[in-house]
Amino acid sequence: MVMTDKDNILIDDFFEGRNDLADLFKQAAQQQIEDNGFTERVMHNLPETKTDTVRRLSRLWSLFCILVGVGLFFAFNGWQVLQGLFYGGLRMLLGWIEVFALTAPTTEIDINLWVVLLLVGFVLIFLPYQTYRKLSATL
Amino acid sequence: MAELNDIALVTQVAVFHNKRAFDQLVRKYQSPVRRFFLNQTLGDEQLSDDLAQETFIKAYLNITKFRGLSSFSTWLMRIAYNVFYDDVRARKQTEDVDTSISALRQSASAGDSNLKMDIYAALALLKPDERTCITLQLIDGYPIDQISKITGVPENTVKSHLRRGKEKMTIYLKQNGYDR
Repeated sequence: MVMTDKDNILIDDFFEGRNDLADLFKQAAQQQIEDNGFTERVMHNLPETKTDTVRRLSRLWSLFCILVGVGLFFAFNGWQVLQGLFYGGLRMLLGWIEVFALTAPTTEIDINLWVVLLLVGFVLIFLPYQTYRKLSATL
Repeated sequence: MAELNDIALVTQVAVFHNKRAFDQLVRKYQSPVRRFFLNQTLGDEQLSDDLAQETFIKAYLNITKFRGLSSFSTWLMRIAYNVFYDDVRARKQTEDVDTSISALRQSASAGDSNLKMDIYAALALLKPDERTCITLQLIDGYPIDQISKITGVPENTVKSHLRRGKEKMTIYLKQNGYDR
């Protein structure tokens, strides 16, 4: 059957002219379906992607490395090595302070205020902001 | 703003595999997606929820393919449309009609109004393509160009489906006493 323009107009009239029909479609359009645990079911059934597998393996590898590191630390008397490094460093620092204290009164040190401000800003603002951004994106 | 928010959430899922962001997307779009399937299956809630779940899982697995050329909701509805048609093909046409009729009976026992029952009965007479176009336009309120993007058929074909669908529904409804 070939539809004429008149038929088309009659169909449009029928759909637009009947208020009960229009109300029903409007009502159906506004209908909100309650979640009722649907989202949880979807999240629970999400399959593991290749990236998820890689991330999981990466975490396992990190854990393995940490465990090996801790094992080697105790096996090779790590505390003594750390103690030696600490006291060595402390001695070096004290020596440096001593040299500085002796020579400072006669040495002129040119400090650029802007460089200091830039460094302070980098350490106190930029680094914490970047860390916060990366952490909030990951979590 | 909603679009920007969607894109931010999609980016979180695609780049950082942030499941919380995907959870938010599911929560936001579960209602329109499930309503779309309810209209296509003529009220079969169990089947609708299964198909909606499959839609979100496919969206999650293919989220890196979302290029932002259309809105996220249109992209999601396109997946829903494909999922529905895969299901229709799998069930074959005859079985689909049987399912529709049983779903219709379920709706009748739930105590729906006569008009709603008659509209479902009229929708059951339509071919799946026609029903999709009719429900997307009359219930979900999508314009023809959006329906064309969702279904992947040219706008003129969408117009033909709408015309034929409305014609069949008008004939059925008039025969059942809705003549003015």
